Amino acid sequence: MASLLKLSQSVAKLSKNTNLSKVLRKASTAAEPKQVSVNVPPTKVTTLNNGIRVATEDWGSQTATVGIWIDAGSRYENSQNNGVAHFMEHMAFKGTGKRTQGQLEIEIEDLGAQLNAYTSREQTVYYSKCLSKDVPKAIEILSDIVQNAKLGEAEIERERGVILREMQEVESNLQEVVFDHLHAIAYQGTPLANTILGPTANIRSINATDLRNYLDNHYKSSRVVVAGAGGVCHEDLVKLAEANLGKLNNNYSGEIPKLSPCRFTGSEIRVRDDSLPLAHIAIAVEGAGWSDPDTLTLMVASTLLGAWDRSQASAKQNATNLARASGEEDLCHSYQSFNTCYKDTGLWGIYFVSDPLKIEDMVFNIQEEFIRLCTSVTEGEVERAKALLTANTLLQLDTSTAVCEDIGRQILCYGRRLPPHELTHRINSITARNVRDVCYKYLYDRCPAIAAVGPVEQLPDYNRIRSAMYWIRV
Amino acid sequence: MALQASKSFTSRIFHNKKALWQYPGRLIKRCTSTEWDNLTERPKEKVTDMPPMSEPVKGLPKAIYSNYREDNQQTEVTTLSNGLKVASENRFGEFCTVGVIIDSGSRYEVAYPSGISHFLEKLAFNSTKYYPDRDEMINKLEKHGGICDSQASRDTFIYAASAYTTGLSDVIQLLAEATLRPQITPEEVDGARQAIRFEWETLLMRPEQETLLMDMIHSAAYRDNTLGLPKLCPPQNLDKIDRDTLFTFLSQHYTPQRMVVAGVGVEHNRLVDAVQKFFVDVKPLWEMEPVSSRKLCTGIDKSIAQYTGGMEQEECDIPQFASAGLPVLSHIMIGLEGCSHQDNDFIAMCVLNMMMGGGGSFSAGGPGKGMYTRLYTNVLNRYHWMYSATAYNHAYSDTGLFCIHASAPPNHVRDMVEVIVKELVNMAGQVGEQELRRAKTQLQSMLLMNLESRPVMFEDIGRQVLATGHRKRPEYFIKEIEKINKDDIIQVAKRLLMSQPSVAARGDLRKMPSLEYIQAGLIDVEGKMPSGRKLSLWR
Repeated sequence: MASLLKLSQSVAKLSKNTNLSKVLRKASTAAEPKQVSVNVPPTKVTTLNNGIRVATEDWGSQTATVGIWIDAGSRYENSQNNGVAHFMEHMAFKGTGKRTQGQLEIEIEDLGAQLNAYTSREQTVYYSKCLSKDVPKAIEILSDIVQNAKLGEAEIERERGVILREMQEVESNLQEVVFDHLHAIAYQGTPLANTILGPTANIRSINATDLRNYLDNHYKSSRVVVAGAGGVCHEDLVKLAEANLGKLNNNYSGEIPKLSPCRFTGSEIRVRDDSLPLAHIAIAVEGAGWSDPDTLTLMVASTLLGAWDRSQASAKQNATNLARASGEEDLCHSYQSFNTCYKDTGLWGIYFVSDPLKIEDMVFNIQEEFIRLCTSVTEGEVERAKALLTANTLLQLDTSTAVCEDIGRQILCYGRRLPPHELTHRINSITARNVRDVCYKYLYDRCPAIAAVGPVEQLPDYNRIRSAMYWIRV
Repeated sequence: MALQASKSFTSRIFHNKKALWQYPGRLIKRCTSTEWDNLTERPKEKVTDMPPMSEPVKGLPKAIYSNYREDNQQTEVTTLSNGLKVASENRFGEFCTVGVIIDSGSRYEVAYPSGISHFLEKLAFNSTKYYPDRDEMINKLEKHGGICDSQASRDTFIYAASAYTTGLSDVIQLLAEATLRPQITPEEVDGARQAIRFEWETLLMRPEQETLLMDMIHSAAYRDNTLGLPKLCPPQNLDKIDRDTLFTFLSQHYTPQRMVVAGVGVEHNRLVDAVQKFFVDVKPLWEMEPVSSRKLCTGIDKSIAQYTGGMEQEECDIPQFASAGLPVLSHIMIGLEGCSHQDNDFIAMCVLNMMMGGGGSFSAGGPGKGMYTRLYTNVLNRYHWMYSATAYNHAYSDTGLFCIHASAPPNHVRDMVEVIVKELVNMAGQVGEQELRRAKTQLQSMLLMNLESRPVMFEDIGRQVLATGHRKRPEYFIKEIEKINKDDIIQVAKRLLMSQPSVAARGDLRKMPSLEYIQAGLIDVEGKMPSGRKLSLWR
């Protein structure tokens, strides 16, 4: 049938929502006594002898996603080797002791499977989406590329060009540029300020020894999670992980890498470029880390601000105050609230794209909303945001890849997967009072970090923005 | 009681956390510009009364998980008294996706100003007869954790919502209201007009060209008829479309026989009951209003799509973020008449599409994206100046369009056209055993992977039932794909090459060859353009 074979993704956007975290699952009201039925399969977790955690959610379906989540990323780098985590991710696909790059590619293509990887500031992920019957093969390949990457000189040289090209690609996406700048100033002087790709100089100089050192220091069994969702049998995956990753160890050759806390600095950067048609600006305060109990409340606050762009005729489902103002007064082309979490810190704020002459009005409206969140947000709004947050996060868990991703990240961040009914309970417990308290703690009279790119002359002076982070009369 | 239990637990955590505060280095210092730091007293106490996310909340009820196996699923179809079809399939999970799929869209707009469907897409889920206040409607949906969306394509219009299964009845009511009883106030029409204007602005500001090129190539392939009518509302039509025009269109096209209500993750009986109640028992708004308010009643355009072939080009500047150092590109799309999704050649055409594959010369993602498809091995890997080459197979109820989209810097436009023409001609040449096997496996796995997602499955059920009255299961397609052999591929390729080409191009087109050259190239057994380069000197 047409739609079936066309890779039709049209309606798939129903289930997409970008910036909300993917933590939630829902059960019926948790206040019921003793038992509650949850219409999803359970997440089973097993720890292997060497410390690797294996976690699955088995649907018994014909397709599956399996992957390796590693607690490693650009945050573990310093200015000399910044970019090495990402470089390593690239090299994993360039052949191993067992198979050349070409063999690897053809093997995956012939299975009709997909092999993918990404590096973030705190996590490195390799995963494969495949037919359920091919899970053993997928795990074998994933384990091979993670443990036995060849790191040949010629391949490394070739990859430099590819990464530099990728950098161009990132730089043509102004949203990414703004968020890189935002990290660079908000976490100045700490590893979180570094970009994931690293500076050009490092990309040009990273060599096999750097990569090998990085591997030896970070791809350690206790920092590895093997996750699976879809047609994956837990016991089978445990056996596969044991057989293929059993040799990974926790012995560090040198000093055990320490994760230093990253300090947030209220500050700003303006990259003025009047040749660009629109201004791209992010304003953020320091949010909470992944496991902080305040995180969910901050997410509710973030949902309350919502997101909007001009092509939505009547702000379809995000009729939040700010969306309404944006639409009615033509304040911006688009905006979205974000809540980026790290282990011990986070960035909470708003990113918007606007006409050069609307910046000041937009910033004013955003700060109005900030203060309103701290002082007078209503029960009704909060209830609405809670429902939306729950729905969006749940709807996102629609495919095996999304669920696998959720499992892997949660096991790394929380050491467990939050049971669905606990999450409902946590969200249901949030009140307007709690939102005001939490926003007061993180937002009110705080120094924001601001990153602005484009024709940004109209962006108010930092001290003016800072002084609108509180109201004297409160 | 669950709450109380957690309270005693959290106070312990709170205690620990306090210790953390005093232990420097563990927790980060808040704000470093100290001057500001003392203005307001910081609430140091814990504000959220919960343990950290890494620790369980104590005293919660025990969860009973589902033991779901995805076997023996059936798609059930019921036809209601007025001809409306209801189709659904159950699934695990607390969420369902339900929606309405209508045999409508831009292909039926020949007697109307083009852009009706585009307007309707923007107008969906606004105020209705029973929800004069749209916020009330959306609030109701949100109460059930729901979100809604609408989408217009050339031959179908979709209204859909995802929500908790428990809210099914309300969601169906809402869908019925949005589909059959929208008020479409003048203010709402204004809003839609504005949104379309903004969409145009954005489209012309972005480097991506697919949306615009798709409209252009359809217009070239089906000149002035059915599928060739624009999907995007032409700017000059923005002020021509009003409530009357929209209502006339709706009353003609939104009839029960042209509609399917489909659901994934719902019990069929409950769905049928709800649909009966809100789609059948309550009349559409246009049957309630006096007919006199409508200007013209034109009936439905029942014509079969006429493939004409032809060329559509637009010499223009294509935006590119110069600061990133990426070159400005020109885009072309060359299409041939394909086949309908009911055609016997349809599956073979899909396999051929998979075999051609393609993508961007630089794209994220590892193996599995079709790195060994022909457009990669023969085109992108061979010509460094090619930026992208992708094959598309559009299938409709009465025809189809098979096309390749490519982009390259302006000085290579001519070479790009030559390379793509050669690839098209090559389709009827040798087919490798391995590439065919791979394409078949990839198509099969793609099919299953896409169907993991509820919205995709919903759309599949809806479209199939709308076209044929029932749904063929993925297993059927898997088998059919398996049967395809080399001869089938060569045969459909020859069928494609019998047709006139359709060409669309945007950007700097000074080096763009004429349609005659492309035609000549497609006739040549090796796909060579007539005496190619010499002539280009004089153009």
